[in-house]
Amino acid sequence: MKKWRNSFALLMMAGLCLAQTGDLVPPEVRRVGDRLACLCGSCKNTVATCQMLGCHYTAPARAKITAMHKAGADDEAIVADFVKREGKKALAAPPAEGFGIMAWLAPPFMALAGAGLIAWFIRRHRKPAPELNEGDVAKYQQAAERELSRFDE
Amino acid sequence: MENIGALAILLAFCLGIYSVAASLVGAWKKKPFLIASGERAVIAVWALIMVATGILVYALVTSDFRFAYVASHSNRDMPWYYKVSSWWGGQEGSLLLWNFLLSWYGLVVVLQNRRKHRPMMPYVVATLMATQVFFLTLNAFPASPFQMLAQGRNIVEVPDGNGLNPLLQYWTMLIHPPILYLGYVGFVVPFAFALGSLITRQPGDQWIFTTRRWAIVTWFFQSTGILLGAGWSYAVLGWGGYWVWDPVENVSFLPWLTSTAFLHSVMMQEKKGMMKVWNMVLVAATFFLCIFGTFMTRSGIVASVHAFATSNIGNYFLVFLVLGIALTIYMILGRLDYLKSEAELESVVSRESSFLFNNLILLASCFATLWGTLFPVISEAVTGEKVSVDAPWFNRINIPIALFLLFLTGVGPLLAWRRVSAEGLKRNFKWPLLGSLLMMTGLAAAGIRHPYALITFGLCLFVGWTIGQEFYKGAGAIAKKESMNLMSGMVELTHRNTRRYGGYLVHMGIVIMFIGFAGAAFNRDTTVEVEQGRSFQLGRYDLKVTGVNSGQTDNYVWQNATIEASVEGKPYATLHPERRIYSQSQQPVGAVSIHRRLNEDLYINFAAISSEAQKPIIQAYIFPLVSWIWIGYWVLLIGSVVCLIPSKVKMSYARTEVVGMAGKHEKVAK
Repeated sequence: MKKWRNSFALLMMAGLCLAQTGDLVPPEVRRVGDRLACLCGSCKNTVATCQMLGCHYTAPARAKITAMHKAGADDEAIVADFVKREGKKALAAPPAEGFGIMAWLAPPFMALAGAGLIAWFIRRHRKPAPELNEGDVAKYQQAAERELSRFDE
Repeated sequence: MENIGALAILLAFCLGIYSVAASLVGAWKKKPFLIASGERAVIAVWALIMVATGILVYALVTSDFRFAYVASHSNRDMPWYYKVSSWWGGQEGSLLLWNFLLSWYGLVVVLQNRRKHRPMMPYVVATLMATQVFFLTLNAFPASPFQMLAQGRNIVEVPDGNGLNPLLQYWTMLIHPPILYLGYVGFVVPFAFALGSLITRQPGDQWIFTTRRWAIVTWFFQSTGILLGAGWSYAVLGWGGYWVWDPVENVSFLPWLTSTAFLHSVMMQEKKGMMKVWNMVLVAATFFLCIFGTFMTRSGIVASVHAFATSNIGNYFLVFLVLGIALTIYMILGRLDYLKSEAELESVVSRESSFLFNNLILLASCFATLWGTLFPVISEAVTGEKVSVDAPWFNRINIPIALFLLFLTGVGPLLAWRRVSAEGLKRNFKWPLLGSLLMMTGLAAAGIRHPYALITFGLCLFVGWTIGQEFYKGAGAIAKKESMNLMSGMVELTHRNTRRYGGYLVHMGIVIMFIGFAGAAFNRDTTVEVEQGRSFQLGRYDLKVTGVNSGQTDNYVWQNATIEASVEGKPYATLHPERRIYSQSQQPVGAVSIHRRLNEDLYINFAAISSEAQKPIIQAYIFPLVSWIWIGYWVLLIGSVVCLIPSKVKMSYARTEVVGMAGKHEKVAK
């Protein structure tokens, strides 16, 4: 039984291998692919960084980028074409427009709000120590020397 | 046997409820026997969970395929250790792991505090057990690991199980989930103590000491769990990514950030009696972020490569979170007078301020990560359109934050408490700053143009220098006074104040990790289809495919390639990347081969055999400096352990009253 199962697995492996071809990534595709999310659902990479051979999203996406480049389209036009077909989810990061701008603005806004809170905290709790007069300084210095001499003993 | 398991969970659930009730009523009515009974119920809950766990693990190891869980997550041919790890391979089992670890924590807390913290122990027990009851509810009702396969009214057994996901059949997966869970689950202990102290208005510092110690332990487990996950991802997924900002990775990172913030700001409370409200918020935030992380992975609210199958248990988590957060806010607001600050801030440039900024940066990173993780859901709810938030967004937001944090890691520890003079600043920072600027200039001149990498290397030197300076100065003084060598001086110095110097070691570990992270800017890779006997080039390496073999084990069939790497004609390494197909799941998985060195890893993945030419397709990568990440972890580990060793010299943090400040600093210095 086990022998049959393993033979079947070997056949499967051969089948899977036959179904795959190498995806060689041209350098120019990496530039555009870095702005596009791989939407295969199995990874969180970009079209440039997805390393799954024969990925059902990235492989055709790369082919399309190459073809559009050869046809003379610039980076912006290629990205716009992907957004037109797939929607904004085609982008690896939300666009800095419409509600997408919130993605970019909220973290620095919160950091600034936090800094404001710290400024408020410091202003509220800051209380510089009063100046000491000469007599006080001498008193504390003597106390320190007394302690230190005890420590040396 | 299955009935005993299910019964044990149900009994534990009932006893958990009893423990909560007995502890609270005992404290309210001042009935010691009820309090003691509540504590004993914790021990009984632990024993019952051990029984349930034992039964599940036994069923897994003996391949008892009458159990639906065993049939879904293991198969006969798996090695015994992967059968054991199937325990946390699925929803029900991993929830049982939560219960298992939580019951151990409960037991340890009860046994450790038989004579300590008596006034607040009933509340500590009640908090622990309320959390335990929540997780037992899940295991007892919607996600029982003791469901049986049945046909009609008869229990049936399938001949073999589906097997564990092959990606999880890797050694780090044997320990990554339990260790990460130890960190997650464990934070319930500091939370319970914080809540107990709040309810009973604990005077003194003893409870802070206990809370901080537990927080260090759980923080250490969280760090280890995250790093083990990164190590697994690096070695198993076939493309060397150790962190891709996946939602599940992100939610494991969130409590780490808040607990790191807590470990820093708690020093303000110990030493100055300040930031008490904030510390309560951080402890609570960390605990609820741990629960939130579990909710995210199990509710299917965001798409993740790691998530468990979507289920209805997300609603249970939501209810627990809402109730827990509401109760905590109520408790904090009701006791603001107890949490009042005992001291004032003397100067903006001081250790106190550095903690404030450290907390700001950590929390900013936490918010950014949470925001990025949830933004697709929020955006869809608001606009009706899906968006993707992937690594480019997270990197753009979080890298500057991380670099600022790295800078603070160098600056903070060298600032004195209360205030720092300009002279002191100059004395401490002049040389580290000059050194790092010089190194950045040198690296730029050598051709490194990546701005973040340059800044990271510069900051790493800066922070490393300041830490080294602290050790050198202190150890030098001790060595001179005690007539010992510098190394013995360092050991003595560390032993005298383990917390401070252990903390420095942890910082050093983080610095070393950052060196590794910066290396990612110089990654190189190629994918080639290459005939046997032919070679290809990647960077300085000449890689020759010298053979392709195949074979089989009980669990999978394999094909591996032998690749000879040489540098400038000299043999360098032989690598054996492998492809496997697991017999039960029929899922193909790569087993990469890595030649690890300090300067860079040579990483080879045998991806496939091409359809037309039947040639091996090899993915080869160079990952510079990545080993430093793992080395950094070991330094962090040593630092954490040092922090937990009691200091030779007992530090007493007197809540000093500031009597005054010398008008002329030099006068006192004389």
